[in-house]
Amino acid sequence: MTTSDLRDQREMKHLSDQELMKIVQAGDFSPASEIYDRYSTRIYNFAFRFLRNSEAAEDATQEVFVKMLKHASQFNGDAKLSTWLFSITANWCRDYLRKADNKPKEGEDVLLHLPGSGEYSPERQLEQRENEQRIQKALAALTPDQREAILLSRYQGLSYAEIAQISGCSEGAVKTRVFRAMETMKKALTGESRGGNQCLNAMS
Amino acid sequence: MPECDVMKESMPLLLTESLDPVRRELTHQHIEGCAACTEEWLAYQETWSLLTDLPEVDVPARVKSAFLAQVMPQAERSNVLPFHRRPAFKWVAQAAAVVVIAGGGYLAGHRNAPSGSVLQPIAATNSANAGSFLPVSTAPTYSIAETRTLPARAISPNIEGRPDIENVNFIDTNPNDEEIGVSFDITSHVTVTGRPTDKSMVRLLRYVLENEDHMTPSRQRAIDWVRTTYSRPHNADPEIAEALANVLRNDTHEGVRIKAVDTLKTLPATASGDGDTYKALIEALKNDPNPSVRMKAVEALVNLARSGAVLSNETLDTLRQKASQGDENLYVRVKAAEALKNVHP
Repeated sequence: MTTSDLRDQREMKHLSDQELMKIVQAGDFSPASEIYDRYSTRIYNFAFRFLRNSEAAEDATQEVFVKMLKHASQFNGDAKLSTWLFSITANWCRDYLRKADNKPKEGEDVLLHLPGSGEYSPERQLEQRENEQRIQKALAALTPDQREAILLSRYQGLSYAEIAQISGCSEGAVKTRVFRAMETMKKALTGESRGGNQCLNAMS
Repeated sequence: MPECDVMKESMPLLLTESLDPVRRELTHQHIEGCAACTEEWLAYQETWSLLTDLPEVDVPARVKSAFLAQVMPQAERSNVLPFHRRPAFKWVAQAAAVVVIAGGGYLAGHRNAPSGSVLQPIAATNSANAGSFLPVSTAPTYSIAETRTLPARAISPNIEGRPDIENVNFIDTNPNDEEIGVSFDITSHVTVTGRPTDKSMVRLLRYVLENEDHMTPSRQRAIDWVRTTYSRPHNADPEIAEALANVLRNDTHEGVRIKAVDTLKTLPATASGDGDTYKALIEALKNDPNPSVRMKAVEALVNLARSGAVLSNETLDTLRQKASQGDENLYVRVKAAEALKNVHP
C-alpha cells in the first residue's frame, strides 16, 4: 500500500456513509475497506444469530459487501447505508434458509465463542454458558420473520420503520412480530409462571 | 381485560421506546395500578435484559481478506491476514496433476477413443488445476461435451491430482436402494453414482472433504452427508475416518472441525482404521483452540472405548491431564473427568 493510499484510507474515516457511497457509485472501490470496517461486525453478528451457523455467516458477510459494491447504483442516498446493508443481509439469510438442507441445526456452533478460561470464574462461565444456551434456544424457537425482527430491534437498535423497510412489510406487521417474539422468549426465558397467565387470571 | 390486553401489546413498544408520549404515559399509569400487568411488565423487562447476555462475536479476519481479494485483486493487502494452505495439504498440491479414472475421460476423452489404450496423457490443453482423467483400460471413454453420469465402479479410485471441482451436490434419489451419487462441475457437469462402499465413491468423498480451499460446496454439508451414509456399519470405511481426521487436524474453520469430530463420534469403531482417528482425537484434545472441539474429542474417545476399543496409555494420560489442568475450560475438565470414570473406573 502506498503512502497516498494510506492517506486516502485515513481521510476516508472522516467521510460519511453517503460520501463513501458516492465514490463507489462513481466506480472507485477504494472505500470498500472503510465501509467493511464500519459494518462487518453488525452484519456478521446478525447473520450468525439468525442462521446459527458461523460458516454461513462468513459467506453472508462477504457476499453482502460484494453485492453492495456491485449494486451501488441502487443505493438511494436518502436511506441509511446500514438499512440497505441489512436488507441485503436479510435477503441472503432468507434465501439460505429456504434451501431445505440449510435449516439451522440444534446446538450448532453454540460453544464457539466462550470467553477464555481466565476471563471469568468457572461459576460465572457456567452461568454465562447456560444463559447463552437458553437465549439461543429461545431464538431458534421463533419463526424466521420473528427472529429477524427481534434481532434487528434488540441487537441492532433499528426502528420499526427501518425494520419494515428491511423486511418488506408494514410497521404494524413488525410490531406484531416483535410482540409475538417477545411473548415466546418471555415464556422460554422467565417461565410460564411470570406474566401472561397470571394477568389473565387476575382479569377474569 | 381488553385494556390489559392492549397494555400487554404495548409493552414491547415501551421497551423499544417506540410509543408516543401520550400512550407511553397511559401505559405506565396502567402498569402501576394493575398488579397483573406489573408482573407482566417485569417479565418483559427481565427477558429484554437477558438478551444482552448473548455476546457480540468478532468477524474472522479471513472474511475481510477474501472480500478485498475479490473486489480489489490488484490492491496490496499487507494489512489483512493472508490465508495459507496448511502443511498437511501441501502433498496434494504437489502431487502430479493427473487423475486417473478407468473408463472415464471427463475432460478431453472421446467416446470413440481407441479401445485398449493404457494410461495415455490426454490433458495437454487443460489448466493445471483442472486435473486430467485418463483412460486406463478397454472400458468405454466419455467425452466432456455434456452432462453425464458415470458409474463409480467404472472409474479408478486413484485421484492423484488436484482437480478444481465445484458445485458439489450429494444425491440419494431412492433411499431404499444402496445407490448414492455425487455430482460436480469440472469442465462439464458430472455425476458419479454407485454404492457408498465403492472405492471410487469413497475416494471422491474423501477428496471433497479434504479440499478445503473452495468456498463451495459447504464442507459442513459434505460432512453431514458423510455422517448419514457412513455411520451405517455396513458402509464403514477407514478412509472416510482418515479424511475426517485430516479435516479435524487441518481445517481453519472451527465450525467445520466441530462437525468433523461430531461425525467421527458416529462412525463405527471398525472404521477407525490404523489408529489415525485416535491420534487426531488426542491431538484435538491437546491442541485445538476451541473448547467445543476438545469436549467432543473426549466424547468421541469415550465412544470408541465403549465400542470395545482399548484406549492407549497416552489417551488416558491426556484425559487425566485435561481433568486436572487448572487453566483448561471448565466444561472440558468435567468431560475429561467423566470420561475417565466411564472408561477407566
